[in-house]
Amino acid sequence: MKPPPFDYAAPTTLDEAIGLLAEHADAEARVLAGGQSLIPMMNFRLAKPGYLVDLRRVAGLAGIRREGDTLIIGAMTRMAEVERSPEVAVAAPLLTEAVGLVAHVPVRNSGTVGGSLAHADPAAELPAVALALDAELVAAGPGGTRTIPAGEFFTGSYGTALAPEEILTEVRLPVWPGGHAFIEFSRIHANFAVVAVAALVDTDGDRIRRACVALAGVGPTPVRAHSAERALLGASGDADALREAIRAAAELATADLSPAGDLHASAETRLTLAQVYLRRALELAVSRARNER
Amino acid sequence: MTAISVTVNGRPHTAQVEPRRLLVDFLREDLGLVGTHIGCEHGVCGTCTVLLDGHSIRSCITLAVQADGAEISTVEGLASGAELHPLQDEFSEKQGLQCGYCTPGMLMRAREILAQNPDPSPAEVREAIASNLCRCTGYQFIIEAVLGAAERMRAGKETAA
Amino acid sequence: MTTADSTTGDRIAADRIAADRIAADRIAADRAASTPPVRDQSAKRRWVGQSIRRVEDPKFLRGRGGYIADRITPGTLHAAVLRSPHPHARITGFDVAAAQAAPGVHAVITGAQAAELCDPMPDFGPDPTKHTWRCLAAEKVRYVGEGVAVVVADSRYLAEDALELIEVGYEPLPPVTDPERALDAGAPLVHEALESNCAYERSFDFGDVDRDFAEADLVITDQLRWHRSGGQPLETVGAIADYDPGTGGFVIETNTLSFTSYLFMVAGALKVPFNRLDMRPAPAGGSFGSKLFANKPAIIAAMCARATGRKVAYIEDRVDNISNCDHHGSDRLYDVELAVMRDGTMRSIKIDTIDDYGAYIQFGVGHHGNALAQVTGPYTIGSVRYRVRAALTNKNQQGAYRGFGSEVNNWMLEQMVDKAARELDLDPAAIRRKNFIRQFPHYIPTGNVYDSGDYDKVLDKALELADYDHWRAEQKRLREQGRYIGIGLISAQERSVFSATEFWFWFDEPAAPVTSTPESVSLKVDATGGITAILYSCAFWGNSPETMVAQFVAEEFDCDPYDVSVVYHGSGDGLPATGPGGSRTTVMLAGAVEGAAGKIKAKARRAAAHLLEIGEDDLEWADGGFGVRGDPERRKTLGEIAIMLHLFKHSFPADMESGLDESQVYDHPWTTMPSADRKDLGVFYPFMGHACHIPVVEVDIETGAVTFLHYAAVHDCGTLVNPRSLAGHIVGGTAQGIGTALYEEFVYDTDGQLLTSSYLDYLIPTAMEVPELAIGHVETPSPYTPHGVKGGGEGGRMMAPAAINTAVNDALAPLGVRLTELPMTPERILTALRAAGKKG
Repeated sequence: MKPPPFDYAAPTTLDEAIGLLAEHADAEARVLAGGQSLIPMMNFRLAKPGYLVDLRRVAGLAGIRREGDTLIIGAMTRMAEVERSPEVAVAAPLLTEAVGLVAHVPVRNSGTVGGSLAHADPAAELPAVALALDAELVAAGPGGTRTIPAGEFFTGSYGTALAPEEILTEVRLPVWPGGHAFIEFSRIHANFAVVAVAALVDTDGDRIRRACVALAGVGPTPVRAHSAERALLGASGDADALREAIRAAAELATADLSPAGDLHASAETRLTLAQVYLRRALELAVSRARNER
Repeated sequence: MTAISVTVNGRPHTAQVEPRRLLVDFLREDLGLVGTHIGCEHGVCGTCTVLLDGHSIRSCITLAVQADGAEISTVEGLASGAELHPLQDEFSEKQGLQCGYCTPGMLMRAREILAQNPDPSPAEVREAIASNLCRCTGYQFIIEAVLGAAERMRAGKETAA
Repeated sequence: MTTADSTTGDRIAADRIAADRIAADRIAADRAASTPPVRDQSAKRRWVGQSIRRVEDPKFLRGRGGYIADRITPGTLHAAVLRSPHPHARITGFDVAAAQAAPGVHAVITGAQAAELCDPMPDFGPDPTKHTWRCLAAEKVRYVGEGVAVVVADSRYLAEDALELIEVGYEPLPPVTDPERALDAGAPLVHEALESNCAYERSFDFGDVDRDFAEADLVITDQLRWHRSGGQPLETVGAIADYDPGTGGFVIETNTLSFTSYLFMVAGALKVPFNRLDMRPAPAGGSFGSKLFANKPAIIAAMCARATGRKVAYIEDRVDNISNCDHHGSDRLYDVELAVMRDGTMRSIKIDTIDDYGAYIQFGVGHHGNALAQVTGPYTIGSVRYRVRAALTNKNQQGAYRGFGSEVNNWMLEQMVDKAARELDLDPAAIRRKNFIRQFPHYIPTGNVYDSGDYDKVLDKALELADYDHWRAEQKRLREQGRYIGIGLISAQERSVFSATEFWFWFDEPAAPVTSTPESVSLKVDATGGITAILYSCAFWGNSPETMVAQFVAEEFDCDPYDVSVVYHGSGDGLPATGPGGSRTTVMLAGAVEGAAGKIKAKARRAAAHLLEIGEDDLEWADGGFGVRGDPERRKTLGEIAIMLHLFKHSFPADMESGLDESQVYDHPWTTMPSADRKDLGVFYPFMGHACHIPVVEVDIETGAVTFLHYAAVHDCGTLVNPRSLAGHIVGGTAQGIGTALYEEFVYDTDGQLLTSSYLDYLIPTAMEVPELAIGHVETPSPYTPHGVKGGGEGGRMMAPAAINTAVNDALAPLGVRLTELPMTPERILTALRAAGKKG
């Protein structure tokens, strides 16, 4: 299972990288980040880019910084770094929890945040996080830089709004320090998720002030569970009351879903799992939100 | 062809490689270090695990060109001459290997585990080695070996490797 | 009925009773005559029984294992196989021009060309001329993944590039993927020449099934389904072949070398004389059966070596191995009836099974021989009806997977016992005790024998290790909280050392009623007294043959096992050897070492007697040498004897040859022929181990996930050579059993597409899916083997699927849900819960 031949460059500047993508567009030039998704596909010969632009040497693409209420993560930041980052743990604990579920440590050592987002696997964790947080993804191309809201970034199964000569440079996440839960159902530990849920709640005493929930594995792209979010707005009461509100919200949200089935889970099972995991994620997020008050 | 410079087990190498050459094939065929094995070639089983700048990576889904400028550690660099690394010695003592095929990758991953957490619990070791498949042992004696090595290494008996 | 008729009837009945008694007496006499002598197993052992560090380990720990892919030398060419994307299609043509012209390509060989260069693959199936199997498909492909062409190039990279340039014309045919539909009239035929997709069908009766069923109080029935999984070792099969145009022969290095006496079939496929084929073993990175006589890569590599005039390596990649390995596991449907009495006594069992063999049937229905070796489990069930139909479908064929078909029977039988217990309201341990065999040797209805055992002891120990009463209390407590905990309990057999008869007792007129499955060991004592043991098959699969042999040799000669050198010779300069399989290695190597050691000692005794100028009978072996009885100071060590024998010929009588080397070809020590009417299959798997597994699981009824809370496993495989090694096999086998029970399945869809062609979809358990096992050992020695050893390498996998299924069913019993299909995926569990109206 050896990859097919390709030409290769490891430029040192972003402009050079963009230029190479444009120059070799006919050869189906692609960006190489960590390679943890791309290289297996090339080993299977399912992906055959004629030109790889390796971003490992491009300055300025990796790093984690906070600017006020925004956490900015460079696209080439390795997932292992995000996992270990105390800044991320404070500003976006949802991301810390999610990234710890991305495959295994060796994959996270090489894999990058930008790579995962740009690969847009329907079952991937980071796209669901970006969607739940209403993140902004910054892309640089021959025409300059643009900011793409997460809701517009994921266009289909393994499809994003990035043009062929655009490179994702960073993701900007609104800070959401508490009331989070990222859980997923996978058949084997750390294997790809059958269904994953990113849940964020903001509470004011007993009352849910805001909820943002995204699911992965239930469609070609991650989806926001808007009906659940609306149902939970203003929900309040004791633990039992909230549990009932969450249960009802999960049921509502599931009614909006029409996942496809595959050999690991039929459509009906995916719906079942989505509902169960929505409920469990929201319960966990709410309990964490309330513990922090 | 692309020029790369890598240091492997402390020895510097320069080579011209096809961009598509997988790191595992570069190590095995170009450098003759056949201790790193191929299991799946799609990054799931972990048999091909080596350390790159101290971090575990899967060399079957890493291009050799991606290792340019890096320091690679493979199983061949673990022992100090005739003296086995505590991990190797413990794997033998606890019978943490049967066919030995996953063992080099498992040893390198174990090195990282203990570097990150020198005093892990059995549950922590179990979760950490879930990255590497073993078809023979059922993992139990591997965990015992890693815990045994951790204890010896905490007592300061790690060999320089 | 008239008086005359009744008299005739009475006389006929009386004659029949008399005839039966004569037959029974004859059977008893035959059995007594064929039983090996009972040994005194009381001797104190110094090395056998010690959990010494394995002698194999140092090279593996350093990455110097010498696996097949490590042995590729510079200049060797690489082969890659083009696999069919169609499950069933006629091949209409090839265009290989572009591939032949591709960079670095030395040869492109299509299936049609291969059919000229090579004869069909070795095949032990019922009708090889009609289900003909070739190393590459010639006229039609019969499963997704079947090889249709091979490219040989300077590197595997270049070979795979060239594969993409080959154009193949296919005329798709309707695939047959359901084994029951495959048996319907009018189903598409996998092999037209067979005129049917039923490669074999027969029903056997052992004992008086009809009477036992008539007398039963209750008949328990069920239908069960076991889907195919496979060994999937982390190392694939590979071979490096070199052709010598001078001799017209081959030297092939490979990680699968077994049945050396049968390798003339491989030579035949390569169209070379048998004495021009030398196959040399490399250690295998795991096998679990899948490297048993797996000669297709060797034949492909050899064919390519001859075609190019160069050394050629063919190493399967993972997709090659998953889709084209010829070693998928059993794939069975069962329809079972178990006749029981109210008090739990099990009288008889009727088993009707359809086994989906895939597109070829290389080992015939030998997998069912493995089942018949222990078909009634550890129980005194008196009669068996066994109907087997082998269905051919458009899938990769079955081969061997740890248990070789007996683990499936264990599972089926234990689910029936479990169901009987529930219907009779009996405790699972109690119903088993009610039926345990307690007298040995015990012949089961099929004619096979169980040499020894103590099933109560194993069950007692398992219950204790499992803290059974505690978990029953926990189960009750947690059920009140709405959690579903289940405790599984199974008692089952793990047979060891198969006989060749199980390949052919399926036929009244077998084409080749072979009876040899030897294992050989040569021992050499050199002039310094150092001992070398030579093995002749690919004995190293991850089992520890070198350690075992070193321990046996050390036991014989009072030396240090680490001082014994263990080497492997190939088939060309070797003695007959069969290799691992059916947990035979321990017993067979023990016997071979014992035999060779005995010959060494006999010669050494004679030499010592001569050197000490005393009678041979006045010498006794002690502490590594021969000493005069009553005068131990007068002695010669083995080393002292050896140097004299090697260098000082004139010190000995004229008829003594120099040197001290002896070999033993050790044949199966206890096997008998089947009866002509096949009502008694003879003894074919006599050394019978046993185990009890008690897992505790929790089933999340909202998601179908199964997690382990505890797992106790107690095994009895006779005297243990290296207890730690055996424990390692128990855990490893159980891990594979967990895979079979919950995660692993080769899935073909209704179009014949293989959905699980990589580890993304074929799910192998990680350390998080396998619990820590509480392991117990019981040692009931075999009275018939050296040191009382039995085989035990397969045991964990032979128990775990059965045990886990009973555990899940125990968890779901309050919901009226019972799973009868493996693997018990979340999908299947949720589907069953929905069907019972119990969705969480």
